[in-house]
Amino acid sequence: MLLSPGFRSAAAMAGWDEEALLFATVVVEDTPVRESRQHKRRRLRTPLSTTSTRKRAPRRKPAVSIPPVVLRLDDDDDDEEQTADRGGETTNKETEAAVAVDGAKQIDKQGSLSEKAPIKGLPCMDRLREELSCAICLEICFEPSTTPCGHSFCIKCLKSAANKCGKRCPKCRQLISNARSCTINTVLWNTVQLLFPEEVEARKSSSAVAATPPGGKTQSSSSEQNNSNTNISSRSIRRSAAQASSQVTERDTRSFRRRIGPSQSEDAAMALRLQREEFRVAFQGSREQQLRALRYARANLRAAASMTVHGRLRGRTT
Amino acid sequence: MSSTSTGSLPPGAGGGGGGIGGSGVGGVGVRGWLSATSVSSSGKRIKKEMLELNADPPPDCSAGPKGDNLYHWVSTIIGPQGTPYEDGIFFLDIVFPCDYPFKPPKVTFKTRIYHCNVDSAGNLNLDILKDGWSPAMTISKVLLAIRSIITNPDPYNPESSSITQLYLTDRAKHDEIAAEWTRRFAR
Repeated sequence: MLLSPGFRSAAAMAGWDEEALLFATVVVEDTPVRESRQHKRRRLRTPLSTTSTRKRAPRRKPAVSIPPVVLRLDDDDDDEEQTADRGGETTNKETEAAVAVDGAKQIDKQGSLSEKAPIKGLPCMDRLREELSCAICLEICFEPSTTPCGHSFCIKCLKSAANKCGKRCPKCRQLISNARSCTINTVLWNTVQLLFPEEVEARKSSSAVAATPPGGKTQSSSSEQNNSNTNISSRSIRRSAAQASSQVTERDTRSFRRRIGPSQSEDAAMALRLQREEFRVAFQGSREQQLRALRYARANLRAAASMTVHGRLRGRTT
Repeated sequence: MSSTSTGSLPPGAGGGGGGIGGSGVGGVGVRGWLSATSVSSSGKRIKKEMLELNADPPPDCSAGPKGDNLYHWVSTIIGPQGTPYEDGIFFLDIVFPCDYPFKPPKVTFKTRIYHCNVDSAGNLNLDILKDGWSPAMTISKVLLAIRSIITNPDPYNPESSSITQLYLTDRAKHDEIAAEWTRRFAR
């Protein structure tokens, strides 16, 4: 379970014991602390690096004057890369269950399945692949749907089979219901996504972009080996791209401002002020969020406590 | 073996401009196919079937694309032991429709065979290639079915009535003629 150190220390100050802390985290878990921090990082990063040489000197100062932010960002980065590395290691030696847990963790962290490291060396992998592939397209079931007779196919394959070949199960020829009433077997679909993330991703992208070159699939399978490496590099590329784009917009707005009139020093001072404000807002946001979460958790705990006290009192009186 | 392609060919199957693989029937020429031609679902599935068939072929059977066209295969079945077709090599032509696997492939004998379920043009009367087709069927299953019908002819769904008549009335004579045809045409 992920507990931010700030939350932990706040809880310690409030005099909570472990149990209360756990209870609070159950309540708090739904708040997207992690994600918001990532967004913020992107926003925070942009002012630190500018291309304009003239503005570099005055701009560096605020970064130094607010050191905790910088430190925290670096920490976060390292942490992320480490988890990625760890993911690669565990998949090499540990069991399927561990992999699944790891995958799930990464999913809720990054919100995408492609980040998961591939599973290798699992003895039953070939059989699993056979079991989980669709008899119609002969590939891994994409959004599987299960017939009343218990056979599973890609929902698309099953629908077109029902439309073109009559409403019978392609495997056992039992009558199946209308193609429109097909539903995705969610358990099976999640299992497939956890076990074969590469195939699912490839399928998703190929269905999204109708005209993908046929070489794409072989490439993705060959990149399985150095997946974690490419993940890191691609992430950094994405980040730098985001940085670049926001730089451009910022430069635009600033040049616009310059056109309006104020002298250079004024401009710099204004930039500094703006940046400080930005930092403050960003920082306050997370602080406020934590506080809000704390307040919420405390209210919940209080309500629970009062309920038990009530119950006990009532028990005594009756 | 010159082929007369039956029916119209699927659109994606035409030219095949970048055909790297030669004209080998199985094995050798197959490799080049992986990088060539279509990305349609039928093409993908046929490619998959080809790989699976090469990795694990059914007994006494082989199949593969004829040339640059992924939708046009040629296949061989060796006559099963203990039948009048023993040791004969029978060539078959397989044409996949463009909405394969939702429609069955067209399979015809290119080698003449004295069999009650095959007519003189090589057309095959097999339920699974007609109404009994299911998209979960693969070409390797079809070849197995053909092999089993060679072993055990089905006189109640005949394609050629005179052969059926002989098969039902004088089995020995039928077998003799079948063996004679095998010697003459299938070796």
